[in-house]
Amino acid sequence: MFDVQSVAHQGPQSRQFNPYTENGGTILAIAGADFSVIAGDTRQSEGYSIQTRYAPKVFQLTDKAVLAVNGFSADGKMFVKKVKQRLEWYRHAHAKDMPIRSIARLIQTMLYSRRFFPYYVYNILGGIEDDGTGSVYSFDPVGSYEREACRAAGAAQSLVQPFLDNQVYYKNQTAGQDESFPTHLPLPSVLKLVVDAFTSATERHIEVGDGLEIYVVLKRDSTAIQSMEGVQEVTTSEEGQRVFYIRRELKKD
Amino acid sequence: MNTLAEQFSTTSALSKLKKTQALLEDEEMSDAMWGSQAGFGNVAQGSPSFAVPAVPDPSAFLRLHTDDRADPNCKIKIQHGTTTLAFRYQGGVIVAVDSRATAGSYVASGTVKKVIEINPYLLGTMAGGAADCQYWETYLGMHCRLHELRNRERISVSAASKYLSNLVYSYKGMGLSMGTMICGWDKTGPAIFYVDSDGTRLKGDLFSVGSGSTFAYGVLDQGYHWDMTDEDAQELGRRSIYAAGHRDAFSGNTCNLYHVKEDGWRFIGNYDLSKLHYDGPNNVPGAGYGYDIRIAGRASALQPAVAAAA
Amino acid sequence: MEILSYLNACGGHRLLTRIPPSFDMSVPSVHLASGFDFSNQIRNNFLAERGIPLPKATSTGTTIVGCLFKDGIVLGADTRATEGDIVADKNCEKIHYITENIRCCGAGTAADTEFTTAMISSNMELHALWTGRKPRVVTAMTMLKQTLFKYQGQIGAALVLGGVDSAGPHLFTIHPHGSTDKLPFVTMGSGSLAAMAVFESGWKPNMDRAEALQLVKDAIFAGIFNDLGSGSNVDACIITATSTEMLRNVEMPNQRAEKENKYEFKRGTTAWKKEEVRSLITSEQVTLIGVGDESMDTS
Repeated sequence: MFDVQSVAHQGPQSRQFNPYTENGGTILAIAGADFSVIAGDTRQSEGYSIQTRYAPKVFQLTDKAVLAVNGFSADGKMFVKKVKQRLEWYRHAHAKDMPIRSIARLIQTMLYSRRFFPYYVYNILGGIEDDGTGSVYSFDPVGSYEREACRAAGAAQSLVQPFLDNQVYYKNQTAGQDESFPTHLPLPSVLKLVVDAFTSATERHIEVGDGLEIYVVLKRDSTAIQSMEGVQEVTTSEEGQRVFYIRRELKKD
Repeated sequence: MNTLAEQFSTTSALSKLKKTQALLEDEEMSDAMWGSQAGFGNVAQGSPSFAVPAVPDPSAFLRLHTDDRADPNCKIKIQHGTTTLAFRYQGGVIVAVDSRATAGSYVASGTVKKVIEINPYLLGTMAGGAADCQYWETYLGMHCRLHELRNRERISVSAASKYLSNLVYSYKGMGLSMGTMICGWDKTGPAIFYVDSDGTRLKGDLFSVGSGSTFAYGVLDQGYHWDMTDEDAQELGRRSIYAAGHRDAFSGNTCNLYHVKEDGWRFIGNYDLSKLHYDGPNNVPGAGYGYDIRIAGRASALQPAVAAAA
Repeated sequence: MEILSYLNACGGHRLLTRIPPSFDMSVPSVHLASGFDFSNQIRNNFLAERGIPLPKATSTGTTIVGCLFKDGIVLGADTRATEGDIVADKNCEKIHYITENIRCCGAGTAADTEFTTAMISSNMELHALWTGRKPRVVTAMTMLKQTLFKYQGQIGAALVLGGVDSAGPHLFTIHPHGSTDKLPFVTMGSGSLAAMAVFESGWKPNMDRAEALQLVKDAIFAGIFNDLGSGSNVDACIITATSTEMLRNVEMPNQRAEKENKYEFKRGTTAWKKEEVRSLITSEQVTLIGVGDESMDTS
């Protein structure tokens, strides 16, 4: 009788295959009426060690789309690289930038093509839709996605998301009589919320800190004024929307 | 034993995937991804292709890293947890779902669209892996459209559901997780088919799927009649999802309600389950499904009225 | 999912830890078996198998150091306590009092370091009263290592013990299983490598007080900024033959950033279902009996 077990014992032994690590950090995005803010800290860690204090997690894809990636940084880097490649090919074929809702679907199919060997990345895509509204799309590692007004992901997700739910969606807040909460926050308030979310997460989460990078995608004809210091315009062409970059320091302990 | 056999089998889903994997490595970015097809992701070659890790048992690998039920500390958290229901009655099909997605014990989202609008006549529901349902039901939508173009008529609910059923069955054992109801109206009238990733496909009048399904069935079964009015049917769907959201920790937030009639589906509304509890569907304070009707100021947690008077 | 709902039902339970009333084991208690109670271990292992791990104990991730100088000992510690990857306490004290001339830095499980050092502190005081002599560092070190060895590593305390006694300055590290080292400069905790790098490059014999304090600060800084388990402020303690100086928060390089917004909520923000106003004043009718001429018979 063929003995399966003994054969299995003599045969080649494979060690457990574990190609993933968690590199900490947190990302978030908030959509406004005619803008979208996408932010992430710049610390990259493994266990109790800091690998680098400056590893960008937020990437400008086009003049109307910015992608934030969090989780396993090697997968994240590769994934962003491939998304950028596909967007460039699209531009060569169609002589225009891919609409953001299409980028969202593209990201879904790209993530799902690795359904059986997933990218360990949590993606948040922010930008301006073709109709001029600000938008945020959030993804799970295998590609399920949803359009939302705000989303946090990463190590301090469970610290930041409840804060955003309360301050952006006004969850657990009741408006006074004859009052109502605004459906969209103005850009200066959103930027303040983002900075406060990250300084707070830095206080209480060991994997968050070092630096903060904020990208703002602004509708071209928007009148929203930049009230923050050190705002840098990073728009690449005349026809798309406008993109701005803000950098802040965070605590380094 | 099963996995050992699979390693040598040439017909299993795994070996099929390993073959496409070999192709994929050569031309992961093939010509099909250029030009007008550049937006189609991994469906660009006509049928999707999937990367598979180079290990003896890929599904065990996947389970190791993604199954939060087996290991709550696993890194990749795939969204789970749901209550969905659909039933057939005199006036068509009612589809009602909750909107909560959980990853472990964390509420990952409270605004998930668990009804997937496959086309104007077909709806699919989402339970199990969110990405699996979204992806394959969108993919099903593509093929339903191709069927229309090839045959000059709409696909039947039966055929559409069988297409999906056969598709997920070809991936059996690979780790897909979905429990879905394909709902629509075709030549035969209103129809519901339950399809899951085990390969089950059932025709029926009334289904509920997900962790909160038992609670939903409780309300559904006692209120269901074939001859219901449209209003009563919609109310039953809403009330059942409310019951599940109230008692199941992995369901909740809001209820999305759809009604399928002869001329296709219609979105009825989105209802906050907390508002339903206190104020009911018509937003009348005190007319809620749960609060005043049960509490009415007499719950044991509240002080007796006598003390207040003193 | 069902399993996880079970988690909520049993979440509060943990391994029962009983600290014996005295470390004197020569007279075992009649009523209590000494040492840890392992009666829940089978249950807890079963729950862990089902994916319900024990609650995490607060651990002081920690960088702790000690260094010898001309006149005595300088001890140093950071002030971060963590629970997994969450900061539980931003300014905790990790330099524990043993006697006036001996202090002990603790890393590892916060409760274990606190209770072990407190117990040894008590026993050292009793020992000093009994012998009528100034307590010696080796005495504390021996008590600590014997305690930790007895519990076979189950008490998760990694300690840096330092002090000055009749035999001069002494500096020890004590590992959770009870082994000890006596060295001129030592580090412990998750930031020990970062701190040791500073000591290895900067330590020299016969430093003066200021030099030694600066070196200890630098070693703790290395831990605070390069080890995620350590953070916030620097505590230091300088022990010489004549004095002990506890320098709480000598350096505070990580002040809280000011918030951009004020988060104040308007009155009425929290929804309510019912309003009820109750009077807290109760009036009672008191009928006085036997007041005036008749006084109580207290004979």
